[in-house]
Amino acid sequence: MKKFLVGLLFIGLAFLLLINFAELPEEKLITFSLSDYYIGFGLEQTGALNLVTAILYDYRGFDSLGESTVIFAAVSGIVLILSRKMLPVSSHGLSFIVKRTLGILTPFIALFSLYVITHGHLTPGGGFQGGVILAAISIIFSIVYGSAFDYKRYSPELKTTFETGGALVFIIIGGLGILFDGFFLDNLDFLTHSPGTLISAGSIPLINIGIGFKVGAGLAIVFYSMIQKTFGEEF
Amino acid sequence: MIYLEYLLLLFLIIAAVMAVYFEDEVISIIFLSVVSVILTTLYLLYQAADVALAEAVIGAGLNTAIYMSAISQIREKSK
Amino acid sequence: MLHHLVFTVLFLLGLYTVIYKNNLIKMVIGLNIMEIAVFFWVIAVSDTGKSVPIYHLNKFAASFNDPVPQALTLTGIIIGASTTALLLTFIIELNKFADTIDSNKLEGLNE
Repeated sequence: MKKFLVGLLFIGLAFLLLINFAELPEEKLITFSLSDYYIGFGLEQTGALNLVTAILYDYRGFDSLGESTVIFAAVSGIVLILSRKMLPVSSHGLSFIVKRTLGILTPFIALFSLYVITHGHLTPGGGFQGGVILAAISIIFSIVYGSAFDYKRYSPELKTTFETGGALVFIIIGGLGILFDGFFLDNLDFLTHSPGTLISAGSIPLINIGIGFKVGAGLAIVFYSMIQKTFGEEF
Repeated sequence: MIYLEYLLLLFLIIAAVMAVYFEDEVISIIFLSVVSVILTTLYLLYQAADVALAEAVIGAGLNTAIYMSAISQIREKSK
Repeated sequence: MLHHLVFTVLFLLGLYTVIYKNNLIKMVIGLNIMEIAVFFWVIAVSDTGKSVPIYHLNKFAASFNDPVPQALTLTGIIIGASTTALLLTFIIELNKFADTIDSNKLEGLNE
């Protein structure tokens, strides 16, 4: 009886949703006034070819700052709950063939992540996506080589330094905006070269680098805290 | 191109139903990663390259790793 | 209309998973499917048949899709990943004390 009632609720909800969708106009669902402003003046005001990056790190820079704060809060909660005083040995890794192959592939993954981070204002990508690719390197080390290898190469202290350093770079660049132009997170125009080159778009590439290292180190800490940790002899 | 979009939408719904249908969590997570890969292709068709990159990296890569580590801890405890 | 139909199916599928399944991990998967439905709808509706919002180097003609929903979706995807990790952490810690991840077998909540 209860299941029947909930099923009836589902059918009613689907009916209501479809009725409301049928009322929507086909074209021009979103009013384009603000977007027209961003599209029309985005290139000459920020110098970034990629308009999504221009919105994320320049027009709506506070959104990215809040997002970094959310990630920082999630990392803090996870580490607070799951941190145990145990030796960080989870497994001895996979077979020799997998280790060799990923040993060759990992530098190229790192190169690709750095490319995605530093070319965020020219091509699709940016700090967040490149940072997650950076975190994937730490995940690969933990899975393929065992987490003792990951602990020895990139210790949690180093990851913590990277995360706080990235956040500090973001905030310091925002403060430089106050110093030079009078607004927090203002685009530092004097760094701008002609649009389309690597060193252009004011402060956007610097903020990208900061956010990339912050997100990468933060998500690596999350995965490192969540893997199974037992006592091991060799370490 | 339009048929490709219909086909991908069909596969998207099928993969999501499969992710809910199976009782084993590992199969569900693999199907959730399949959903993310199909969604990446759909975002490229809808001309949203940044979102496609983020969905490929996070949905298919990071989420799967985090779910797997959580399940390995839970099964280790209940053994 | 097709996008609205797909959004409705995916969203109700996620809601069904959250309500009916007893396994806590399946509930998190249901929340993920609801997130995916919303992001898919926002991107699909904001597509008006124009090009990716990135300028070419030499021709500066502007006929772009709306970049604002894409930026918002990008923010949402990453926050969704971190909240998923936090929820799974709670489930791991719950399993250490209660020895179960079945929401019907959890004891001590209503005593």
